[in-house]
Amino acid sequence: MGQIFSQSTDRILRVSAITIAACVIGTVSLLAYLGRPEITDAGYQPRQPVPFSHKLHAGNLGMDCRYCHSTVEFSAHAAIPATETCMNCHKRVRAESPLLAVVRASAANDTPVPWVRVHKLPEYAYFNHQAHLSAGVSCVSCHGRVDQMAEVKQVAPLSMGWCLDCHRDPAANIRPAEFITKLDWQAPRDAAEIGREIIAAKGISPPEHCSGCHR
Amino acid sequence: MTDPMSEPMTGQKMTGQKMTGQKTTGQKTTGHGMKSPAEGNGPVRKQPLQLGGREHWRSLDQLSGTKEFRGWVEREFPENATELSDPSRRGVLKLMAASLGLAGLTACQRPVEQILPFSRGVEDTIPGKAVYYATSMPLGGVSTGLLVESNDGRPTKIEGNPKHPSSLGACSAYAQASVLGLYDPDRSQAVYRAGNRSSWGDFQAFAGPHFSNAGDGAGLRFLSEPISSPSLEAVRSHVLRKFPKAKWTEYAPLDSGAAKAGSEIAFGQQAGPRLVPRFAYDKADVILSLDHDFLGLDEPTTIPTREFSRRRRVSSEKDSMNRLYMVEAQYSVTGAMADHRLRMRLGDVRRFAEALAAELGLLPPTLRVLNNGQSKEDRWVSALARDLKANTGRCLVVAGPRQPAAVHALTYWINEALGNLGETVSFVETGKAEKPSAEAGRGTNTQPLEELAAEMAAGQVDTLVILGGNPAYNAPADFDFTANLKKVANTIHLGLERDETAVLCQWHLPEAHYLEAWGDGRAHDGTVSLQQPLIQPLYGGKSASELLAMVSSHENLRGYDIVRNYWLARWASSAGEKTWRRCLHDGLVPDTAYTVSRPKVNAKAIRAALKLAPAATSDGIEIGFYPDSGVYDGRFTNNGWLQEAPDPMTKLTWDNAALMSAATASALGVEPGDVVSIEAAGGETMMPVFIQPGHADRSISLALGYGRMQCGQVGQGTGRNAYLIRTAAGSGFLPGAEVRKTGQKHVLASTQEHQSMEGRPLVREATLEDYTEHPNFATEAVEHPPLLSLYEEPSYDQGHQWGMAIDLNSCVGCNACLVACQSENNIPVVGKDEVLRGREMHWIRLDRYYAGDPEDPQAVSQPVNCQQCENAPCENVCPVAATAHSPEGLNDMAYNRCVGTRYCANNCPYKVRRFNFFDFSEGLAEVQKMAFNPNVTVRVRGVMEKCTYCVQRIQEKKIAARADGRPLEDGEIKTACQQTCPAEAIVFGDINDAESRVSKLKAQNRDYAMLGELNTKPRTTYLAKLRNPNPELT
Repeated sequence: MGQIFSQSTDRILRVSAITIAACVIGTVSLLAYLGRPEITDAGYQPRQPVPFSHKLHAGNLGMDCRYCHSTVEFSAHAAIPATETCMNCHKRVRAESPLLAVVRASAANDTPVPWVRVHKLPEYAYFNHQAHLSAGVSCVSCHGRVDQMAEVKQVAPLSMGWCLDCHRDPAANIRPAEFITKLDWQAPRDAAEIGREIIAAKGISPPEHCSGCHR
Repeated sequence: MTDPMSEPMTGQKMTGQKMTGQKTTGQKTTGHGMKSPAEGNGPVRKQPLQLGGREHWRSLDQLSGTKEFRGWVEREFPENATELSDPSRRGVLKLMAASLGLAGLTACQRPVEQILPFSRGVEDTIPGKAVYYATSMPLGGVSTGLLVESNDGRPTKIEGNPKHPSSLGACSAYAQASVLGLYDPDRSQAVYRAGNRSSWGDFQAFAGPHFSNAGDGAGLRFLSEPISSPSLEAVRSHVLRKFPKAKWTEYAPLDSGAAKAGSEIAFGQQAGPRLVPRFAYDKADVILSLDHDFLGLDEPTTIPTREFSRRRRVSSEKDSMNRLYMVEAQYSVTGAMADHRLRMRLGDVRRFAEALAAELGLLPPTLRVLNNGQSKEDRWVSALARDLKANTGRCLVVAGPRQPAAVHALTYWINEALGNLGETVSFVETGKAEKPSAEAGRGTNTQPLEELAAEMAAGQVDTLVILGGNPAYNAPADFDFTANLKKVANTIHLGLERDETAVLCQWHLPEAHYLEAWGDGRAHDGTVSLQQPLIQPLYGGKSASELLAMVSSHENLRGYDIVRNYWLARWASSAGEKTWRRCLHDGLVPDTAYTVSRPKVNAKAIRAALKLAPAATSDGIEIGFYPDSGVYDGRFTNNGWLQEAPDPMTKLTWDNAALMSAATASALGVEPGDVVSIEAAGGETMMPVFIQPGHADRSISLALGYGRMQCGQVGQGTGRNAYLIRTAAGSGFLPGAEVRKTGQKHVLASTQEHQSMEGRPLVREATLEDYTEHPNFATEAVEHPPLLSLYEEPSYDQGHQWGMAIDLNSCVGCNACLVACQSENNIPVVGKDEVLRGREMHWIRLDRYYAGDPEDPQAVSQPVNCQQCENAPCENVCPVAATAHSPEGLNDMAYNRCVGTRYCANNCPYKVRRFNFFDFSEGLAEVQKMAFNPNVTVRVRGVMEKCTYCVQRIQEKKIAARADGRPLEDGEIKTACQQTCPAEAIVFGDINDAESRVSKLKAQNRDYAMLGELNTKPRTTYLAKLRNPNPELT
């Protein structure tokens, strides 16, 4: 019986199979790479309804983070302040500024300012600010130098792997309680060593098991 | 993948015999020997294996080993469980298209999410921190004090108020589920006039001139549920002063009327009606209950359970415990807890009480003989009398609400003769406690429902204002309330639902839920509790006080002002504001309890009353009417949590049934599931048959509250209406009913065989006597070789190690834990069809086992949640490590990692894992989502879930303690089931702390690990059950 397919058919088949496999693997890898939180989430910087500058307030004016985010030490959430908090100063300071029109309207009409959320963990992760602050983790560890941001941007990937990196070895991110909101704090000696001392003193053991964060 | 419990039948037999061949104490503890079931007795065909001591079985099908039961044992989920409910091709294609579409969309872009802070901050509000408010829930004429958790302004979880006398920190399944009722989208949302949508403004425009022209109120009638609220009483007396000829009727289908009428007989017409008995179950060594389900549905509070369970707490074989005798027709949870239970028709209970009184020398000795002097009943009477007399002043005789007033009066007399008055029984003055003026108004201007119905029929009523309740559905059938309602010219109905009464009335007004309205009410001991709303009325509802103020004074008074002004007027003005704030904070007004009275029983009057109405004996079938463990009297019919909570005894969900004994069923020629027609007192109702082991013969029990015609989506079409044959005279039970087979069939969803574990002594029990002889009977019940694991076993000796101890001797099986868990952990409701497929999602289930004679068994209930095994069989088989162990000994479940293989559920010997076959929480109305606990993930389809020991509560307390820089205290973390348990049967804590309560309980000799012989090392262990039988009766 004569051959139905020529010899080259075999080669074509082989090459195309390899090409298809490579394409598939390549596409999947590329998507997986592009889909990583480091790429997709870090750097997220939405427009806010009010051009509030953390750089001005926390950086230049030196306001403590907790003046506005007052619940951060007592609750899971670091609350966005009520409009009232803004108006404490802005009743007098720049009281006529057009940039603050939304804030003034909010205070006058008793409607909320529609801030856009920057940092968001998945719904099944239960992050608790209080737990981290009481352990001595500074704002800067997760949120970066917010005091240098005119418009807030997410700097960390906030991925599970990134969380666990610190949970496995938190020493470098633990500092004395009085410097938690001091974003430009420079450790007087090796930061990790200070961290280890605090960890030993407070008996800190960050959870690495599922129910530490997922419920 | 087959779990060790699910081997084929033959293998199971072998294993079973091997494992328990060397029984030690178990055989001695057998209370009843296994009797050979009577021939022709329905499904009972053959005896099961004698596996260990007392044989426990869940259903008659298990006892006879039917194929249906084997199916439940051998598979975690029944055969068709994996299939879609509606497996049409079109449906599948639609689902696939939707999931593909959504998968594509989600990947595109991060959705923009807003954060909307307050513009003006609210005092004490911290986002993410729950706030607890004290309030109270009225049910059954009693207000139970509650602490309600509010998350960002939404009430989400109900707990008992530890300071409140009717709660002491616990609460019932009804209270737990009431938060779901608040967010019920089927609640009445608007004012209706003659069936058309209207508004409060329109109503006011009507009510203003209408009530101004009502004159002295000759044709004006008010109908409400029994009022226990002092401020509402005040408003009522104001209304009745304004309309002196108007009359007020209080009616509820379930009340304590018989007990009050009993006081009237026993203590005279002057003092009697104001005197209500209070029983101290914790002070009684011997209790006889005559058809009184005081641990279950016949008491409006959970206090009797708390008091009773105190006397069942045994710490070693040297301790004593109380003894409970139960005489009843239907099998109640009280009957299950009883040391001796006598099944008896409701109509015969009175003769039994008379015989006991005769034996005690109160009634003529001729009444002493019941049957022939030798029957079981006769032996009971003499043994009981001796036991009661031996415990004079420390015993208690109580009668249930279905029994006639004369029986109640007789029990008061028996208690007096036994020296119990002032000891275990006291009578409280309910009338004089508060506001004599309101009482005066009440005396002249009230009338019973019967009189109101007659006036309505005669056309004498011009305007009827119905404040709450649903009389068109639940009024006695012989009053013909529905027809009479149509004869009233002006009808106004205020109610939570647009129910049967609402659609018949000209005006329907939405009522505010108790979590939305200001009010007050009395606890069972009279203490006033304030009812503080947690949220603005969602649908513009108003309270009864607000409506009355509107019709009487044409004023739009706020409920807040009505309640507050009422109380401020009672306190010294200087301290008023401070006292008000203190009372609001605590949830109760101090020193407002009823005063205790020492009345003298009028024996002559009781004898006369017994003679006047001789015991009605009938050879026909008797029908008993009971509150339902789910829907109560019909007010919770639209509550999914309560509908799906299996009845403690029948394990029925979403339905009621005609409960009867197997002998009655075979006499009637009916089988389970057959629909029978029950004709009595001129009415007729249809009911499916359900065989209840231990039910009295020639008696049928019906649960009230089903078969609603005008109801929300959840309750529509569930069960059948028993009110159709319930008359005023026969509100407890009706003798002489005609029962006929109709030929129809109805499928009942009973979970009694679901998640069956088989073959080993799961529940262990002994008598107190055997316990003294064999203190370690619980652990000796199973012989097994030394346990070794193939896996490396981590040591759990550092830090917190969580564990739980459940005392089977206290647990009454009331379902409060089950509903509390559902509320705390966002557990979905699946519906009757899914329950039939074994897909119910409850994280804690209450297994009810029978033991002994299938005709007259004993029963025991066992709560089973995830046992948090140290050697967890589920973890080894998970291909994606979605379930793994925490260093604190918790078997963690990461929902986001679960791919839904269900291997874990198949490998779990306790069958405590639940699988989301559907997105049960999808498609909920926005308002229903408000009931969710924000600290627990709402699971999606395809995910396995199970009890977490309320890990969210553990984390919350741990974080708080750490922030305060202090160690966690024992008892600080309470799981939801533990917190609400009225019997305090569940204790959770750190087993690494030798001083913790849970460690001490686990150190007791009654402690055993269920299926511990599998070397699973469960963290939940059980304290074996004890019974304290009278040697004379065994």
